[in-house]
Amino acid sequence: MTLDDLIHDVNSKCSSLKDAAKLLPAAAEPEYRELLTLMVRQSRALADALAAFERAP
Amino acid sequence: MQKLSILVVEDDPLARKVMAVQLKDHAVDFAENASSGRALIESGRHALCFLDLQLGDGDNASGMELIPLAAARGIYSVVMSGHDGEAVVERAYGLGCDDFYSKGNEASNVGSVIARYLNKKEGAKTDVFSERFITEDPETRACVKEALKYAPSELPILILGPSGTGKTNLARVIHDYSGRAGAFVAINCSAYTEDLLEAELFGYKKGAFTGANDGHKGKLLAADQGTLFLDEIGSMSLKMQTKLLKAIEEHSFYPLGSDRAETSRFRVISATLEDVQSLIKAGKMRFDFFQRIHGLSVELKALARRKGDVLPLIAALGRGGKRLSFTPEAKQRLLGHDWPGNVREVKRFVELLAAGEDGRVTPEAVDHLLKTVRAEHGTLSAFANEEHYRFALENGLAAAVDRFSDELIRRGLDENEGKKTKVLSELKISTRLLYAALARMRGKRSKP
Repeated sequence: MTLDDLIHDVNSKCSSLKDAAKLLPAAAEPEYRELLTLMVRQSRALADALAAFERAP
Repeated sequence: MQKLSILVVEDDPLARKVMAVQLKDHAVDFAENASSGRALIESGRHALCFLDLQLGDGDNASGMELIPLAAARGIYSVVMSGHDGEAVVERAYGLGCDDFYSKGNEASNVGSVIARYLNKKEGAKTDVFSERFITEDPETRACVKEALKYAPSELPILILGPSGTGKTNLARVIHDYSGRAGAFVAINCSAYTEDLLEAELFGYKKGAFTGANDGHKGKLLAADQGTLFLDEIGSMSLKMQTKLLKAIEEHSFYPLGSDRAETSRFRVISATLEDVQSLIKAGKMRFDFFQRIHGLSVELKALARRKGDVLPLIAALGRGGKRLSFTPEAKQRLLGHDWPGNVREVKRFVELLAAGEDGRVTPEAVDHLLKTVRAEHGTLSAFANEEHYRFALENGLAAAVDRFSDELIRRGLDENEGKKTKVLSELKISTRLLYAALARMRGKRSKP
């Protein structure tokens, strides 16, 4: 992964996380859970991408 | 709101979910990768498609190849990307995309994109200049086009121009082309005292002041998600400007007597016939307030400077009524008139024309009706014509009222050979008022 790709990933994943967080207050129960699950998955994927970049030579 | 058929090509499941919520009022199909996106575009059943550029297939910009495909099928394509470098934006537009935004704040992004799409579609369907804002003047058309270009944005617009040139109409057209979900709410700032204007704009709670027996939702709240049109903005006091500036900047405000803040996201369009720079120089308009309301300034010319609009305006305003035909001389008369009341005067002329004239309009009929309109205009404006208004703006209302009463008293004295008792009884005034006027007249005469 290049630094450019990483920047793109951080930008777009954080954008969706922020947008999803804004939807939480108005979300009803099944959608609320679904959003949270997707947000957790997204955060982990981003953390993994950052860690992989950190480990890369 | 119109239900649209929309395609979203996005590999990120969370972003797809966010888009699903934002587009819940429309019929939406989702594609997770370039190949399924391609298949759905080829089905040709979508009016609009949102394309992510990086579709998780290792290619940095696989979404790019979908742009020409969508363009070829007449689909309004929108690129949403985490990359917003100049080269990427340029390439996307070069391939034929219609819109581009950087990811983040989708609630506002998606709304604006749909507004721009509807605006473009609407613009293609109707010609604004033959239906909504009648003008054939190239300069005025350019001004209106420029304003409509920014209609879907949040940019505040300041409309300048003499009375009756169509400032309110233009504000309404901009709102209608903005795609904003809220209402068009207009208020004439000069029609209210400072306290009343504050109550009208901000609203008030029951019992906020004597006479507030019920609560009142103010114009700011009524314009939520819509447009707040502030006419005659130059007459707004500095105190009100400060208060309104805060509400515009923070999108929140306190109604009178309330300790609970209300939020409202309105777009501001304002208008004035005054010279704004002079108002700022004279300390009558705050510079920061001016900066906040004049994202774009549009100046409408007086009708006397765009005579080519007179006949099209008469035709448009008379549409739906009796079909009229003007003799060539009658047309010359219309074009020779200066129309000091601008479009408002034309409107009145057409009303009179439709009410009383034969189908074929002669120059004599035109002369007669113009005289009637002028007489009406004169009667209506005798107490507040342009000169009086300018004088009051420069010297204050009290000075204008003094000048007005002095002139009436002087005329009364002239017509009654200086007999004060006669003037007192005819004008029904007190001795105190008469002598105050005489003192002012003497003061003026004694000034070097």
